[in-house]
Amino acid sequence: MSFPDPIAVFRTEAAELLEQIEAGLLDLNVNLGDKDQVDAVFRGLHTLKGSGAMFGFDALAAFTHHCETAFDRVRKGEVPATQELVTAVLEAKDHMRALIETPAGDHEAASEVLLANLRAAVEGAKNPGAAQTAGTVPAKTLFKIRFSLPQNAMANGTNPLPLLDELRELGECKIVADRSAIPSLDLLTPTDLHISWDVELLTAQPRSAIEDVFIFVMDEMQLDITAVEATAPAARASVKSEAAPSPQPVAATQDMAAAARAPTPASALTAPADTKPNKASENVRVPAEKLDELMDRVGELVIAQSRLSQLAGGSGDLQLRAVSEDVERLSGELRDTMMVLRMVPVAHLFSRFRRLVHDLAHETGKTIELITEGESTEVDKSVIERLADPLVHLVRNSCDHGLETPEERRAAGKPEAGRILLSARQQAGEVIITIKDDGRGINKDRVRAKAEASGLIPSGASLTDNELYQLIFQPGFSTAQQVTNLSGRGVGMDVVKRTIDALRGTINVASHPGQGSEISLAIPLTLAIIDGLLVRVGAGRYVIPLSAVEECLELSIEEDMRSRGRSFISLRDSLVPFLRLRDLFRTGTKPDPFQKVVVISTGAERVGLVVDQIIGDHQTVIKAMSKLHHDVATFSGATILGDGDVALILDVGHLVAEGQQQEAHLRAAG
Amino acid sequence: MSTPDFKEDPFQLPQNLTVRTISAVRQEILQLIDKNKSTTIEITDDCQVDISFIQLMEAARIYAGSAGKHIALTRPASGPVLDILKRGGVLEGMSDDDAKFWLHQRGTQ
Repeated sequence: MSFPDPIAVFRTEAAELLEQIEAGLLDLNVNLGDKDQVDAVFRGLHTLKGSGAMFGFDALAAFTHHCETAFDRVRKGEVPATQELVTAVLEAKDHMRALIETPAGDHEAASEVLLANLRAAVEGAKNPGAAQTAGTVPAKTLFKIRFSLPQNAMANGTNPLPLLDELRELGECKIVADRSAIPSLDLLTPTDLHISWDVELLTAQPRSAIEDVFIFVMDEMQLDITAVEATAPAARASVKSEAAPSPQPVAATQDMAAAARAPTPASALTAPADTKPNKASENVRVPAEKLDELMDRVGELVIAQSRLSQLAGGSGDLQLRAVSEDVERLSGELRDTMMVLRMVPVAHLFSRFRRLVHDLAHETGKTIELITEGESTEVDKSVIERLADPLVHLVRNSCDHGLETPEERRAAGKPEAGRILLSARQQAGEVIITIKDDGRGINKDRVRAKAEASGLIPSGASLTDNELYQLIFQPGFSTAQQVTNLSGRGVGMDVVKRTIDALRGTINVASHPGQGSEISLAIPLTLAIIDGLLVRVGAGRYVIPLSAVEECLELSIEEDMRSRGRSFISLRDSLVPFLRLRDLFRTGTKPDPFQKVVVISTGAERVGLVVDQIIGDHQTVIKAMSKLHHDVATFSGATILGDGDVALILDVGHLVAEGQQQEAHLRAAG
Repeated sequence: MSTPDFKEDPFQLPQNLTVRTISAVRQEILQLIDKNKSTTIEITDDCQVDISFIQLMEAARIYAGSAGKHIALTRPASGPVLDILKRGGVLEGMSDDDAKFWLHQRGTQ
């Protein structure tokens, strides 16, 4: 059994901490008076510094110390939080990442520059009211603290002495080492820690300041803090409330990242929810590749089960069938459990855009609010990873081209601050990610002119709005009059299109002049195993993703004959175009006497697929197409059937688009 | 072969007395106590020390005491060792015996 490399674990947890620090800073930037966020950022920096020192990242610890000190001053009311300070620490945070990733690199010069910026921000922010605050003598409370660190603390690199030093910094302190648990030398494991400490601390700081001292060593430690008395009757309410009569052991948390998690507050701009209590102690961190491995194994099991099911079905052996059904049920449950394990909330994905928007607002001189919704929506982790780049392009585009300058917005009677809404929701086996802005909208005339000029469409071509908007995803297409360093080169939107296509997703664009535009990405929830509908067309078998199937109908020979040339069926008073897969795949076979129409849809668009036989539902383990078949648009992948044959998986988005195109041509032809 | 009643030469500890080397130091001191009725420990001025060493010496005192043997420092704690005793809160609430051992106050143990 292999144990994880502690440095790698530190890097992972530090990355999470940096994300939390960044989120806290961005929240603080919106509401500079938010004390909870100040505390959260301070805790994050404090934890990062301590953990960095513990794991030998001395440069990181030394650098972070300055930022921590700056935020400590903000916390104590000596310096107000300002946007300059937030920006300085955000930049410093990026540098911390570099110090973590390449600790041996030459970072000194960059560190100096950033620390100079930080000092300037702190000096510039000095609070005129601080002098008044300093003039009043805050009430002090006597705390009795008893703590013991985990027995393996020293072996894990934790030195208790800096903790004691930090307690001394909080006020008048009497520290007594309790050595009564130290065993005799012959029984001693000398790397274990058997000393605990009793501390009496007279301080004006709240209990949370004491807890902060231990924030990155709370794992399994015992910490009792009792407020004994306040020195002044005029003590502030917050101090009074600290003076609880009984000890309050601090709950141990599992990892340092969890320990640094912000206490509560959701951003004013963030939709509520997602504030579940931290149950880190019930979580286990698993490397993503292990999940991928497990997923592969489950995939193989599903295929083997499918073979067993086929054998059992053909054997007539009732006992074998019963076992086969049990295995089918269990493998289905295992698959579902596996799917849940792979699902991660999009919050992680969305959080990175807050920084992006912050930076873009700075670069463009625009005031931009990012609103996020549906952050708890869960998506397969591999989908999340691949969505990041397209979303960056779309958000950049909204910031740079979509939103107007403050002057333009004022002139248009809009609020000065532009808004970008990033939302996620689940809908029938898909996650819908929407990027909506309240900017100027897409200029249809300019899109058309550009498309005609570049030969993408013939002059005067009749296109629906959606078809016209889809042109912006063509390679090299840009209507931007100016190429900025953000966007306008026409590379980016085609990346969005390619990535979403590869994810078997679809893109919908809506725009209203002067009111803004909305781009929706509909992506399958998972890329690994899906429920499929197995059908036969000619001699070949194909899988249609079940989430896209609306209904199945019978297409009699008479109806088939009647619809020749038109390829429409009437479905509850509406005409639905259909595609004969036998023709599309050129099977060269005769149609079955009772063909079936499988009606599939993506959002509002529907199309029927004529097949020879519907075989039934099928757990489909998706295998990627080979490079040779990479550009075959009709299929999104392949799967292995129970008998070892390969079935191709139909690309629903492509087929619906083809059906709609066929409909448009037929309508145009009258 | 009989064991000597008193080890004349003090045992000089290595320079590194931190958690990284403490297991080896424990082994050395354990053997010394086992072999001798009295053990004197010398700590260099420029040693690196952390709380694990203080704990080790406390454990050694318990072991020696239960075996009816004697352990002492060649001179009162100073420099880094005294600093760790202070920072670690060991000086606070020291018993007379503790003070005798660590600081040589009122004779040796």
